[in-house]
Amino acid sequence: MDWLYPFLQAVLNGILTGALYALIAMGMALIFGVMRIVNFAHGAFLMLGMYATWVIFEYGHVNPYFGFLAAGALLFAIGMAVYAGLVRHVPVQAEFMIILLTLGVSLISVDTVLLVFGADYHQLNFALLGKNFRMGQISLNAPWLISFAIALLAAFALYFFVMRTMFGRAARAIAQNPYSAPLMGINIHRVQAVTFGIGAAAAGIAGGLLLPVFYLYPDVGHLFNLKSFLMVVMGGMGSIEGAAAAGLVLGVVESLTSLYWGNEWALVVDFVLFILVLSFKPSGIFGSQRA
Amino acid sequence: MKRPQVLIGAAIFLIALVIPVFVRNDYFLQVIFRLFLFATLGLAWNLVGGYAGQLSLGHAAFFGIGAYGLALLSKGASPWLAILGGVVASMVAAVIIGSVSFRLRGPYFCLATIAFAEVVRLIAKNLPNVTGGDVGTPVPSLFPQNTMMSFYYACVVLTIAAFAINAWVERSRFGYYLMAIREDEDTALSVGVNTARVKLWSLLLSAAISAVAGALYASLFLFIVPDPVLGIELSVEISILPMLGGAGTLLGPVVGSLVLETANEVFKNIFKEAHLLIYGILVVLVVLFLPEGIVGTLMRKLRWFKAAPPPAFAATPPPGPAEESRRVPLPQPE
Repeated sequence: MDWLYPFLQAVLNGILTGALYALIAMGMALIFGVMRIVNFAHGAFLMLGMYATWVIFEYGHVNPYFGFLAAGALLFAIGMAVYAGLVRHVPVQAEFMIILLTLGVSLISVDTVLLVFGADYHQLNFALLGKNFRMGQISLNAPWLISFAIALLAAFALYFFVMRTMFGRAARAIAQNPYSAPLMGINIHRVQAVTFGIGAAAAGIAGGLLLPVFYLYPDVGHLFNLKSFLMVVMGGMGSIEGAAAAGLVLGVVESLTSLYWGNEWALVVDFVLFILVLSFKPSGIFGSQRA
Repeated sequence: MKRPQVLIGAAIFLIALVIPVFVRNDYFLQVIFRLFLFATLGLAWNLVGGYAGQLSLGHAAFFGIGAYGLALLSKGASPWLAILGGVVASMVAAVIIGSVSFRLRGPYFCLATIAFAEVVRLIAKNLPNVTGGDVGTPVPSLFPQNTMMSFYYACVVLTIAAFAINAWVERSRFGYYLMAIREDEDTALSVGVNTARVKLWSLLLSAAISAVAGALYASLFLFIVPDPVLGIELSVEISILPMLGGAGTLLGPVVGSLVLETANEVFKNIFKEAHLLIYGILVVLVVLFLPEGIVGTLMRKLRWFKAAPPPAFAATPPPGPAEESRRVPLPQPE
């Protein structure tokens, strides 16, 4: 039974990471589903969320488990501004142009943070970090557990917001048909701006929750950017519940790869998985692709 | 020959060939080397991204495979044979990448090319016994004296070759097929263009050129590490150059490289760490205000400059009244 406990531990760790991945991917899936935009700035949004939470912790001494709310609000505003100032002025058909545009936004954000805060790595330092819950041979890190719980709550809140509110219905209507939605009285630019804001806020909140358990440097978002593409494609582009499921699966797969093959191969497995999904089922494994 | 773009290109290359006679400053030559290296890469990308409209964000893979091909294969063979090996390896990679990604469209294609390039990069990082991993690996010199001058000339000749290939493609049946695919892939397919094969050929050409450029770059610096030659930043740069200059135009990638690489060098010297910020702002401005690129916009604005290829299929049927009779009559209402 020697193999069982490491395996269980890895699966549990994977689920804890997976919930954060899910939140990141849901934000991206929302933006992709409603606007057909592949948001290359998503990782940068996450990074901004982490830095916002960190600044509030370092200078205002606010616990990151409250600070992430501020990060979410800030990113919501940034997302709205990026949409209204930039994305809106590029025709939807010019997919590659929007990719370049968001890449530009990402470069600008990362370099601004680099100039302001420097390239140093930072890590939070507070009492909770060392705490572990032990159950037999399995131990769970307390900050990871709290981040997991909040991420889960946020993910459900996002899901219900999109599925059950009038606003969410309007957003989904645009996803279904961007031409007839405005004919039904939907203010398409306002809904898209808010959607973009919410997508960015999801990344920002995930960043705030990631801060206590991860380390911080200006290019941290890059890694999560590529992963969120994978999750969104796996989940069926535009399906937020699919993206959430893909996030959990990815977390577990990565954790198991790290356990058996070593940490450096986890990302390789990610991309091989990505290519396999794209070649055999580009419409996604979980959930169907929304028209 | 009424192709102003070819003439302007020829003029640029003539100047480039004369420059070393007057300038012997190695730093300056290296800057221009870089400029032409990226012009080559932009021209290579243009075959796939510009004419065929398949916007790849994974061209660093071909560049890096060319670079690593030279580094690794030259342990057992002469460097020139090793370059050939790198080119073959890069083309094999192109077949694999193309066979998967060309079945996808729009953003999916883009993401697939990124994923492949990242897999190549991570493999180079994770196999320290073969590639030296993150530490890097030495690369042999191609030229006995290893002077900047020989690299400079090699690079300009490579750019001329890439430019000639682009010029040929723009006016060949193959090129018309590519442009037909860019305009409407389904229609191209329905009139009998073997889209899968044509796209793959364009990627093979593109990969081969990129691989030679990669080998040249690696050999100049005598040492390579995975991230700069295989990273996504390089892929982005390769795709932005022709977009800035005008994707799908002959001169676009060259002009894009002249503008962007000069700007990059100047920014690096003036703004130091802020140069990426300026670079990002430049990208955003191009997307917002110059979506057709510099050459593309000029071509539209100035009629005399118009070297735009004729509509996709105008070259195939013979002109004249035969055209008239082939037109299908519209069904008349009763």
